[in-house]
Amino acid sequence: MDYKDEIIDHYKNPRNFGEMEEADVTINESNSSCGDVVQVQIKIQKSKNSKTQNKEDLVIEEVMWRGVGCAISTAAASMLSEKVVGMTFAEIEKIGDEGIVKMMGGEVNAGRMKCATLAYRALLKAFKTDD
Amino acid sequence: MFDVEKIRADFPILKRKINGHELVYLDSGATSQKPESVLRAMDDFYRNNNANIHRGVYDLSVESTKMVDEVREKVAKFIGGRAEEIIFTRNASESLNLVMYSWGKKNIKEGDVILVTRLEHHSNFVPWQVLCKEKGASFRVVEVDSEGRIDGSSLKRLTEDGKVKLFALTGASNAIGTLVDIKKMVELVKKNNPRVVVVLDASQMVPHMSMDVNKLPVDFVAFSGHKMLGPTGTGVLWGKKEVLLNMEPFMYGGDMISEVGLTETTWADLPNKFEAGTPDIAGIIGLGAAVDYLTNLGMGEVRTHEKELVEYALEKFKLLEDEDLVTVYGVKKSEERGGAIAFNVKGVHSHDVAQVLNNFGICVRSGQHCAAPLVTSFNVMSMVRATFYVYNTKSEIDYLVEKIKEVPKVFI
Repeated sequence: MDYKDEIIDHYKNPRNFGEMEEADVTINESNSSCGDVVQVQIKIQKSKNSKTQNKEDLVIEEVMWRGVGCAISTAAASMLSEKVVGMTFAEIEKIGDEGIVKMMGGEVNAGRMKCATLAYRALLKAFKTDD
Repeated sequence: MFDVEKIRADFPILKRKINGHELVYLDSGATSQKPESVLRAMDDFYRNNNANIHRGVYDLSVESTKMVDEVREKVAKFIGGRAEEIIFTRNASESLNLVMYSWGKKNIKEGDVILVTRLEHHSNFVPWQVLCKEKGASFRVVEVDSEGRIDGSSLKRLTEDGKVKLFALTGASNAIGTLVDIKKMVELVKKNNPRVVVVLDASQMVPHMSMDVNKLPVDFVAFSGHKMLGPTGTGVLWGKKEVLLNMEPFMYGGDMISEVGLTETTWADLPNKFEAGTPDIAGIIGLGAAVDYLTNLGMGEVRTHEKELVEYALEKFKLLEDEDLVTVYGVKKSEERGGAIAFNVKGVHSHDVAQVLNNFGICVRSGQHCAAPLVTSFNVMSMVRATFYVYNTKSEIDYLVEKIKEVPKVFI
């Protein structure tokens, strides 16, 4: 597997990197194979779909994240932080590991899936703890 | 004569190409490759001798039983123990867990101390941590110095109160290669804890150097078969007969009983008492072939070869350090080091290093090497590790060093 230019770009210039002042949810997730930890923070859109309280219908307004990681986990978190804005939880759940691989250009070594999905797992957890 | 090229020819997998390159396998610390003779022994067994052991009176069963017993003798001879003291397990982790469940649960009480070191693989760390929590015992971790040697003063301090009931230590660090002066460490512990039971994780020793359990002040020795040219699914626990006799079984079932009644059951003699169920018979036969292979090479020769490799690697890596490209961890003297070198490429995550090296056909491990407490003590989250074995060569180390130089370029 080669590192695609887009991965290297997100790795070197991670988007939405940092800490959010007033996050609705903050979640930490770690990668057991290397000890890397990522923090993902989200702000949930209040106006849209306000009729329903269903978790599935909550819409992401903003994502910020931080952590030290490898090129794959960093690029994945960066790309994900752009991708999920405006999505509902139901839509995010649908992305799945396959969607993450697709997002990263269609090729992730099986041994690196933990790296690629680190931020995604945090994001899924964020909604779960919101119950 | 130790002839690496001849040895390499015995390992079919070394002919494989990875991403168009020759396979450079530098992860024997995780599991070793297997020579033709091991593969053939297992295949032959299934084709010609397969039957369950200790069950039948027919010829096949008698043969397979005899074959397993012979391997037990062989393994015993290889490490200096008696055959009845050799218990076959799936791997070193299971061996260590056997001691925890069988010996530990019965003998560790509230207020006792279990001592481990920061060098341990998780498998000689977590079981003891869990047992201490369960029993209300205290779990103490001996620190290491800046090069990753066991810190004698930390050990003295933690053993002064005489409460240490069990001391679990590794003979060689799987992550950074430190060789431990086992006798010295156990002596220090025994000074105030004369009755301490000692559990040695020899997973990175038995495959790499000659060893005699009778000359070591230890009660249990655990190691894996698959790290010493044997198949996966094989491990060994050696225990001192006197200690094993006073232990209850860890698992119950077939082959480990003496008499079974409706209300009471008595246990088989050693070592069957600890081997419930049908073992990995073909695997054990394969392990026997691996022991033969290593015995033919001579363990002194094996150690010399690996020591030369690690010395050479340390020299080459020193040059990379001088170029400010890498950080190397662990002791600098090859006498105190097994065939492992742990490092990081500056500014690049260990997983990314391993990934780029894989593109060149090089297999190295990255991450925490099942030794998080040790790795993080060097103020890093993870490391890259290259481990050497009988089939590795200096030219492979040259190739590794050359390709390490390519790594940072990918990320600039």
